[in-house]
Amino acid sequence: MMFDITGKRFRFFLISGVVILIGVISLSSFGRLRAGIEFSSGSMMTVSFEQEVAHDELRQELAGLGYTDAIVQGTEGGNFYIRTDKLSEEEKAELTNALTAKFGSLEEMEFYSVSPMVATETFWNTLWACLAAAIGVLLYVTWAFRRMPKPFHYGTCAIIALVHDALVVLGIFSILGGILDWEINLMFITGILAVIGYSVNNTVVIFDRIRENLSRGLSSNFEVVVNNSLVETIGRSLNTSLTTLIVVLALLLFVGASIQNFAVVLLIGIIAGTYSSICIAPQLLLIWEKGEWGRFLPWLPQPAVKAKGG
Amino acid sequence: MARRNIIALVIILVLFGLSLWTVLPTKGENFLGMRLGLDLVGGVHLVYQAQFPEGATGEEKAGDMDRALETIKRRIDKYGVTEPVIHGEGGERIVVQLPGFTDIEAAKKLVEQTGFLEFRHVELNEEGSPVYLSDYLENTRTEFFDEEVAGTRLFVDNDDNPVVFLDKDGAGNLSFTDGTGNSIDLDEVKRRAEEILGEDVPGSWALLSWIPARGDDGTQLTGDLLDKAAPGVIEKATGSEYQIDIEWNEEGGIIFDQIAKRIYESGSYGTPQRSLGIFLDSVLISSPQILESEYQGKGSITGNFTMDEVTRLANLLTSGALPMPLEKPPLYEEKVSATLGADFIDMSLMAGLIGIILVMLFMIVYYRLPGLLASLALIFYGVLVLAVFKLWPGGGVTLTLAGLGGFILSIGMAVDANVLIFERMKEESRTGRTFGAAIEAGFNRAWTAIRDSNVTTFIVCGILYWLGSSIVASAPVMGFALTLFIGVAVSMFTAIVVTRTLLRLFVGTRLAKRRSLFTVYSGKK
Repeated sequence: MMFDITGKRFRFFLISGVVILIGVISLSSFGRLRAGIEFSSGSMMTVSFEQEVAHDELRQELAGLGYTDAIVQGTEGGNFYIRTDKLSEEEKAELTNALTAKFGSLEEMEFYSVSPMVATETFWNTLWACLAAAIGVLLYVTWAFRRMPKPFHYGTCAIIALVHDALVVLGIFSILGGILDWEINLMFITGILAVIGYSVNNTVVIFDRIRENLSRGLSSNFEVVVNNSLVETIGRSLNTSLTTLIVVLALLLFVGASIQNFAVVLLIGIIAGTYSSICIAPQLLLIWEKGEWGRFLPWLPQPAVKAKGG
Repeated sequence: MARRNIIALVIILVLFGLSLWTVLPTKGENFLGMRLGLDLVGGVHLVYQAQFPEGATGEEKAGDMDRALETIKRRIDKYGVTEPVIHGEGGERIVVQLPGFTDIEAAKKLVEQTGFLEFRHVELNEEGSPVYLSDYLENTRTEFFDEEVAGTRLFVDNDDNPVVFLDKDGAGNLSFTDGTGNSIDLDEVKRRAEEILGEDVPGSWALLSWIPARGDDGTQLTGDLLDKAAPGVIEKATGSEYQIDIEWNEEGGIIFDQIAKRIYESGSYGTPQRSLGIFLDSVLISSPQILESEYQGKGSITGNFTMDEVTRLANLLTSGALPMPLEKPPLYEEKVSATLGADFIDMSLMAGLIGIILVMLFMIVYYRLPGLLASLALIFYGVLVLAVFKLWPGGGVTLTLAGLGGFILSIGMAVDANVLIFERMKEESRTGRTFGAAIEAGFNRAWTAIRDSNVTTFIVCGILYWLGSSIVASAPVMGFALTLFIGVAVSMFTAIVVTRTLLRLFVGTRLAKRRSLFTVYSGKK
């Protein structure tokens, strides 16, 4: 008995396409990716009130003080996260005094203030880091599979899978951003980069099996080789993802708000990464090998399918 | 083979014991004695941009930076913050991290404050000659020599640093202090005086009695009354001469002329009584001679100065103790309260514990005996990673919330190598291999996949670490990169070496034949 995974490849692309499309629609309409103060500068504080304070009242009070753009989020334990434009020392003191006058004594649990200069720097360095990660992965995968007939194919497919994961995470996050005011902060980026590493890790394990099966001369049909490799590794792929998801869920449930961006990115990213390492990267490899790219563009005249490689 | 395996087991157990011994907390340590980041213990993190004068060379900037860091360190040490981190970054930024110190406004004042700049002159006795510390020590005086000028007498050593202060206590008696209100007994003062006199510096002005320079109405001349101080150059036939041009504000100009007149008339050029002592935080930074009896608000400090010295002095006079002003507000401010930090630790511990238990349960249920052994390896993994954190070069890894997140994440990823191997063992045993052969084949065949796949994680960790080192609010990123890297590296060891050693113990035993202990054998065919 043999599962036919590769035969469903175009269905897999359709599923990914739909998820990414939803993300793109969200990005261009109701959803949004709001940059955290690390990237856009500003101040944020977490305050803990002695008395119970209603979310709406706090928001109104802040609006009344002139902070109409302030983001207010309730976090666990009755604390509130308040994000504003960059506060000067005097503005901060005024704000704290006004809130104390209105809601009673409060404790400032956290305070962060980032200047525009630092924010710009952080933004660009983060962009470079993400680019460097992608290029590093491309080079490494190409190098690791250098003895294969087309090492560059392996690298490129791994990168496409990685971009796929990033797009899925961004899309879903934009929906969360639209509904819950979540931000793209440094922890988010850290999570994205961790997901990149994780997703490629899975992809490499499957590619490694394809490499091994090719060198053992399992079959002259590349599709059979890829399918067999997937069937052989699918248990490992799912189990490893499961153990990782277990700890990520533990992080999300027990550590909570302070790293929720990070944990949620990992959660979405690990699922997307597992999917892409099985359903995207190796399938693209197969499509490339078979010269089936034209099938993504059905309105173009279909080239004769050439039997290649194997 | 069996013998070698026993030796491996012994080594592993010894390593485990050593790690456990490293990790277990000694009395009074919090959280296993790990070094904790600001977000966990609470504290303040500030980053300042230094404003160097235009055209300053790299060397000058580096020198100024060192002095500025020294000064800030001194101030913070006085406050008694434990293990403050104060360092320069990129040559133009100053990073101040104060663990456990959560008053961010006070911290900012401490760093930004301009030192206390005051002007003094030498005390004279009835005959009009300068008074030294020894004059006060002989015959134990009960009154100041110059009763007309009230206030602390300050004595400095040959390096111009304060030695001792002499003041009147509440009862009107003279008493020696350290400047912050603690009294110093007479024997100690005598010992210090002898030590300094023993240095035998020719023409030494050490231990002169410096008294506050006051205007006729008693107002002391301080840095507040100074309007401007800038480096100046006078071109002479003999070459360039450097000086500091100063300008007083209105009140300062009047007071200064009253003081200058007195000093000018008190002695001849070159004598101590003709000099004006400029003190910054009680350190004598310059003692120029008064050349005229009237300055009308403006003056210059001349001397055998180099350009460097002039710039530095001018900066000291305007910006206080720091060689260059710091841009305000800081580029980056962070404050985390101690309670929030403590919560983070508890929550992370909980998450880690629950995570590790669930992963172990999964491994045992799914892989049976090998899963149990992998779980033992996972416990070893946890302890070994914590030991590595503690022994990491540079005083251990500084654990942050993100770092703990990376560690917890790595628990889930740590069993990956085991999963790879066990799945491989299943396949190998399906081809009819014996238990022992399946173990060896499983480990050998899985190795390339483990190696190649973990390299990608290392690449990402490397990039994250670079990102962390290149940006200001770097703690989360760097902490995560480092703990994930250590975690994955250690997991390669524990999942492979430890699990294999434990599994080999069962080769050839009766247990190895009990199929129900190994889903390995009950695999679908």
